[in-house]
Amino acid sequence: MKRIIIVIAVLVAILLSSSLYTVNETQVAIKLRLGEIVSVENKPGLKFKTPFVNNVVSFDKRIQTLDSASESFLTVEKKNVVVDSYVKWRIVDTQKFYISTGGAMASANLRLAQNNQDALRSEFSKRTIIEVVSDEREAIMASVKAKLKTIAEDEYGIEVIDVRIKRIELSQEVRNSVYSRMETERKGLANKYRSEGAEEAEKIQAFADKERTIILANAYRDSEKIRGEGDAISASNYAEAYSQDVDFYSFYRSLESYKKSFSEQGDILVLNPDSEFFRYFNPTK
Amino acid sequence: MSNNNNGANMAWNDNNNQTPPELDEVIKDFKNKFNSTFGGKSSGNSGASKAAKGSLKYLIILALIVWFATGIYIVDPAERGVVLRFGAFQNSTTQGPHWHIPYPVEAVYKVNVEQIRAAEIGFRNVQNSYSGGVSSESLMLTKDENMVDVKLAVQYKIADAQSYLFNVYNPELTLSHVVQSVIRQVVGDNTMDYVLTTGREQVAQEVKVASQALLNDYNTGLMITAVTMQDAQPPIQVKASFDDVVKAREDEQRYINEAKAYANDIVPKARGASQRLLAEAEAYMSEVVSKSEGEAYRFNQILTEYTKAPEVTRERLYRETLEEVFSSTNKVIVDSSSNSMMYLPIDQLINSSRTSKSTSSSSSFQQTLSGNSNDQSVLRSRENR
Repeated sequence: MKRIIIVIAVLVAILLSSSLYTVNETQVAIKLRLGEIVSVENKPGLKFKTPFVNNVVSFDKRIQTLDSASESFLTVEKKNVVVDSYVKWRIVDTQKFYISTGGAMASANLRLAQNNQDALRSEFSKRTIIEVVSDEREAIMASVKAKLKTIAEDEYGIEVIDVRIKRIELSQEVRNSVYSRMETERKGLANKYRSEGAEEAEKIQAFADKERTIILANAYRDSEKIRGEGDAISASNYAEAYSQDVDFYSFYRSLESYKKSFSEQGDILVLNPDSEFFRYFNPTK
Repeated sequence: MSNNNNGANMAWNDNNNQTPPELDEVIKDFKNKFNSTFGGKSSGNSGASKAAKGSLKYLIILALIVWFATGIYIVDPAERGVVLRFGAFQNSTTQGPHWHIPYPVEAVYKVNVEQIRAAEIGFRNVQNSYSGGVSSESLMLTKDENMVDVKLAVQYKIADAQSYLFNVYNPELTLSHVVQSVIRQVVGDNTMDYVLTTGREQVAQEVKVASQALLNDYNTGLMITAVTMQDAQPPIQVKASFDDVVKAREDEQRYINEAKAYANDIVPKARGASQRLLAEAEAYMSEVVSKSEGEAYRFNQILTEYTKAPEVTRERLYRETLEEVFSSTNKVIVDSSSNSMMYLPIDQLINSSRTSKSTSSSSSFQQTLSGNSNDQSVLRSRENR
């Protein structure tokens, strides 16, 4: 008796487990009967299905990110740029999604990625690098998003929430030319600073030299004036004194010069005893 | 209490109709159960099966208690607990101990909503030390077709636990993508000089605002608390020429400073020299004037005396002068009336007079006047002692 009850309990458990299933807050599910869609379960919670007849496929209904690999596109200037973008999407029409993609996220991503690249390629080919990088970045993203939105909703039951460009990179040759342009620009700037500095320095030095010359010239002029004054005063003193008796002056002054001139031990005078000095020297006279 | 009945059914029924056993009976039953499971004495078929039935009952009760206990959980002050019943959102709980209906009915996810988390764009930090740039993330184009290397540090926290869990797949990756896209957009809208120098704060602020707007659009439940620009540099490939511009600025200043130093050196020196010139001139003037005044005064004095007795003064002055002159020089007295030829060894005289200069005596040479001899005169030097 007890054994039968255990068996019944086990059977009930099996029955229950195959007829109950849960749908998470993050999920949305489809109930199928033998491959045909019976219903779409959007609300989360505990659900019932007919065991062994129905099977349930569930999908993540949160916002997914499609981060495709970088692709290179040509701009209108025929320059290569490498673009990395992402698409934010989520399932809105579960039925359409299942029918169009077979329920595989990967295939949905693949199709979206292809459409994304095509739309980007056509947008980039109409614009220059500058427009792409700054002026029209938003416009490109909005336009690609609009294109993808209609395709995705019509065909895959997907809502495209956002399309954004993550990175725009230049190809290696273009990058190198950008680097060399930046370098030459900087070199020019450095030369400008240095030569402006040299110009200013030259000015300051020249001005200082000029000042110096002027100062010295003025000083020379003034000193010569003073010397001249001194000479004049002394000359007038002498003239005033000596002109009182010119004869005596010349006698007196000559005596002074004899004293000053012949005062060295090394001097030799060859004298004639007839001179005035020797008047009383030779007693015969 | 339980009767001694045969058969499992009766025992089962009896137990269903009985009131809960008393404590000592419970202990006895548990002992029996252990004995039966771990190879104790079997007290007969009915006893063993009864013990087995009793232990099954208590096993089930134990399992139920354990199962109920798994529903207890504690929420930290910084956390929120999100409870799902059969996968559907039930309620959210705040700090403290709580209980939920255990799995598989209910499940709880605990989310820390206070902790500040960090995201790095353009570089990676490993154990609190800067490990280096990731140039594929950090190099970006500016409005004027230049390239810059920008590294951002983003701080964020989970503001809404439900949105964080249920709206977006991998919210952290989403945040990283969003910030990368936004920073490049903002840098692409500005010039290189702005981004590298004055515009750093402004750029970081714009990134924060725009990123938050996108995160809100996607309903991620994340809130960015701060965006800081760790670094903004020109790319490594051109860094040398950028550094040279800074050096050039310094060189410019240095040239100017050197010139100013030169000017500050020579102009005051020139002023000093000019003062010296003037001072020397004034000194010369006063020297010359004083000398002239002195000599004039002296002359006037002697003139006064002279005019009083001219002949006598004249004679006296003349003799005094010659006295002084002759006493301090060497003399050779030659009689011009004699007709003899004379040999004057002037060189010898000059040389010997030089050597005897140190002594304060004077030497004199004399030649005898009796000049009838035709031979050369002999000159003798005689030193006066």
